[in-house]
Amino acid sequence: MSEVILKTEGLSKTFVMGKRKISALSGLNLQVNKGEFIAIMGPSGSGKTTLLNVLGCLDKPTSGKAILDNVDVAKLPENKLCEIRRNKIGFIFQTFNLLPYLNAIENVELPMETTKKSNSERKKRAHELLELVGLSGREEHRPQRLSAGEQQRVAIARALANDPAIVLADEPTGNLDTKNKFEIVRLLGKLNIDQGTTIIMVTHDGQIATHTERVLLLNDGKITKERQGILLTKKKLMCPYCGGKIHPSDERCPSCKKRL
Amino acid sequence: MRSLLVIIALGFSMAIMISVPAGIVANQETTQNLNAYYNKAVSQMEQQLTLITCTNSSSSTSSSSGGSFPGGGSIIGFARLGGQTIYMNESIVMAAISKISGVDAIAPKIEVGEGWTTKTLTSRFNGITFTFNASSYTVEGVPLNSSLIDNYSILPTNITAGRNLQQGDTGVVVLSQNNTHYFGGVGVGGEVKINETNFKVVGVHAEAGSLLFMGGQGSDVGTLYMNITNAQAATGHTGEISELDVYAKNSSTTLVNAIANDISTDFPTFHVTTELDQLQRTEDIYNSTVAADNISQMQTVAFQEIIVSILATCLIVLFVMMYTVRERTREIGTLKAIGFSNWNVMSQFILEGILLSLAAGIVGIGIGIVAAPTLSGLLLPLSSPFARNTSGSGGTGFGVGGAGYVVRGTPSATALVGNATPVLGPELMLLALAGAIVLGALGSLYPAWRASRTRPAEAMRYE
Repeated sequence: MSEVILKTEGLSKTFVMGKRKISALSGLNLQVNKGEFIAIMGPSGSGKTTLLNVLGCLDKPTSGKAILDNVDVAKLPENKLCEIRRNKIGFIFQTFNLLPYLNAIENVELPMETTKKSNSERKKRAHELLELVGLSGREEHRPQRLSAGEQQRVAIARALANDPAIVLADEPTGNLDTKNKFEIVRLLGKLNIDQGTTIIMVTHDGQIATHTERVLLLNDGKITKERQGILLTKKKLMCPYCGGKIHPSDERCPSCKKRL
Repeated sequence: MRSLLVIIALGFSMAIMISVPAGIVANQETTQNLNAYYNKAVSQMEQQLTLITCTNSSSSTSSSSGGSFPGGGSIIGFARLGGQTIYMNESIVMAAISKISGVDAIAPKIEVGEGWTTKTLTSRFNGITFTFNASSYTVEGVPLNSSLIDNYSILPTNITAGRNLQQGDTGVVVLSQNNTHYFGGVGVGGEVKINETNFKVVGVHAEAGSLLFMGGQGSDVGTLYMNITNAQAATGHTGEISELDVYAKNSSTTLVNAIANDISTDFPTFHVTTELDQLQRTEDIYNSTVAADNISQMQTVAFQEIIVSILATCLIVLFVMMYTVRERTREIGTLKAIGFSNWNVMSQFILEGILLSLAAGIVGIGIGIVAAPTLSGLLLPLSSPFARNTSGSGGTGFGVGGAGYVVRGTPSATALVGNATPVLGPELMLLALAGAIVLGALGSLYPAWRASRTRPAEAMRYE
C-alpha cells in the first residue's frame, strides 16, 4: 500500500456574502497517495478553486481536516502556513504569475530566496529544473520574451524549486493553445513518472484531465464521480485501446497508432 | 516611464531639501569670509598705516566747551543737526599734534555747510511750526599735497566725469553728482560760485554712503572738494580747520590708541576715532543688525522649507508605493503562495521604497549640483546677508577696502569678499543619500504593511 500524502476528512468551506451563506465545500473527503497525478474536474462554482486554495494553505477551511504530510494544516496559524507553502507545496497558476521584471532563472530561484540554500545551490537547482522542463539556454529570458507554453514551463520549474510534497495546478492549461496544452500536461505526466512528483490539477478540460492517472468529478463541494486516466495505463505500460505494450514517453501506441 | 517621472519629481523635492542647507552653509561661509577679510584688513593696517580721525563737533549741549581747548583759537560754530562744528586755528592744532610721537602724517581738513536756506517744518503731533536753517551743500577743503594724496585717501574716490584734484590745484572744485542741480546743472568746465568766489569745475564724483551713515549724509547734501586754502578763504574760515586725519606708520594697536589718547587729552573737544574703532563699529553693526536678523530669519524659513520638502518626499513615496502595492496585488499573492512570509513581503516593498527614493536622491543631487544656487536663491529670499546691498557706490555696504585704510564709498564688502555660492559638499551629498534611505523606508512603511496583510486567495482573484 502506497503512502498517503494528503487526506481530507469532512472538509467544508462556507463563504458569507452579505446575508447569504455560500457553501463552496461541503464535507469533502479525498485521499491522495504519494506519486499520484490527479485531475479534479467540475462545472464552475463546484468548488474546485476553493479546494485547491484550502489544500494549498492559501485559505482556511470552515471545518474538517486537511492532513498534508501528516500535519493538519486546517488548524495551523498563518506563520506556520507560510512555511508549509514554502516547503511542502508547489503552485502552478492559470496565468503563470511569473514576475515580469525577473528572467526565467530568477523566477525559478524565487521560492528558494526565503530558504537557507546558498546562492550557488539556488543557481544550480534552478538550472537543473529549467533543463528538466526543457528550457535550457533560455535562462536569461524575461517572461515577455517567452511563449505562453514556455512561461508555464518556467512556472512549473518554479513550483518544483523547494522539492514540494505536492504540486497544485489551478487550470495550468487554461491560457494555452491546443498544442501547448498537451505539451504541458505531458510534461506534468513525465515529471510524475520520472520524478515521482505528486500532482493535483484542477481543469475543466476533459481531454487534458484524461492525461492523468485519476479524474475526480466535483459537484456542489463534494466528489461525486471518479474515473481512470491514460497515465495509469502508461504506468502499467499497456495501451488502453489494443492492450499492446507501450513506453511511458510514447505519444501514440506503437501497435494500434492511437493517440495516448 | 512612470517611475522615471516619479523619480524626477522626488528628485526635485530632494534637491530642494539639500539646496536649502547648501544656501545656509554658503551664507555662513560668506560671513566667515567677511570676518576673515576683516581680520586680514586689521592686521594689514597694523603693519602699514593707521588713521586717526579727529572731528571737532561738540554735542549740542556743549557749545561753550570749544573754548576750553589749549591755545584758545578762534571759535566759530554754527548749528548742525545734532551738534555744533567748532573751527580751530590750524597752526596751533598742527603744531600740537605733530609733536606727539608716532605720528607720521597729518591731513588738516575743513568742512563747512554752505548755501543756507530757511526751512519750516510743522509738527504732526501738535501743529507747532519750527523754522530752521539747513545747508544745501558741504564744502570740504583738503590739503593738496602730493605725499598726502599719494599715500592716503583724502580725495573723493569715485570720479564720474572730468578728473580728480591734484597737487597745486587752486580755484578749482570737484563737484558731487548730488549738488550739480543746485548750481544749475553745471558740469565739467563750468563754474560754481561759493559765497563771493568763483571756482572752475574740473570733475564730478559720485557720493557713496557708508553703512555707518546708511547713505543718509551724502544722499541729498553733496560734498564739494577743493584746496583747503581756497575753502578757508571762500567760507570765511581763513586759517581754521574742522577736522584732521592723523596717520601713524608701522604702529601697533597700542600705539594708535596712545596717540588717540594724547590727542584727546590735548583737545578734549575732539571726537577722536581710530580706524580700528570704525572697523569694529562697522562689524558690530553688521553683526547685530544685518547678519543676525537675516540669518535667523533665513534659518526659520529654511527650517520650514526643509520640513515641507521632507513631508513632500515622504508623501510622494507613500502614494507611489500605495499605488504600486495595489497594482501588484497578484504578484504579492504569488509571492505569498510560493512561501514568502509577511515579513518577507514587507521588507521587499520597503526595500523597493528605499531604492526608489535613493534613485531620486541621486537625481536630486544631480539637480542640486546644477541648480543649488538658483534653488536656494529662490527659496531663501535673504540668501545673501548683503541682499539689500547694491554693491558699489551708493550702497549701504561698508568699506573695509583700500590698502588697509577705511575708505568711505569703496565697493561694499560683498563685492570685495564675494558671496559664497551654495555648493553641495560631500557631507551634504552623503546626508542626502542617508535622508533618502530614511525617508524611503518611512514612506513605504505603511504600503509595505498593507502588502504583507494581503490575503493570497483574494489576491489571486484580483484583476
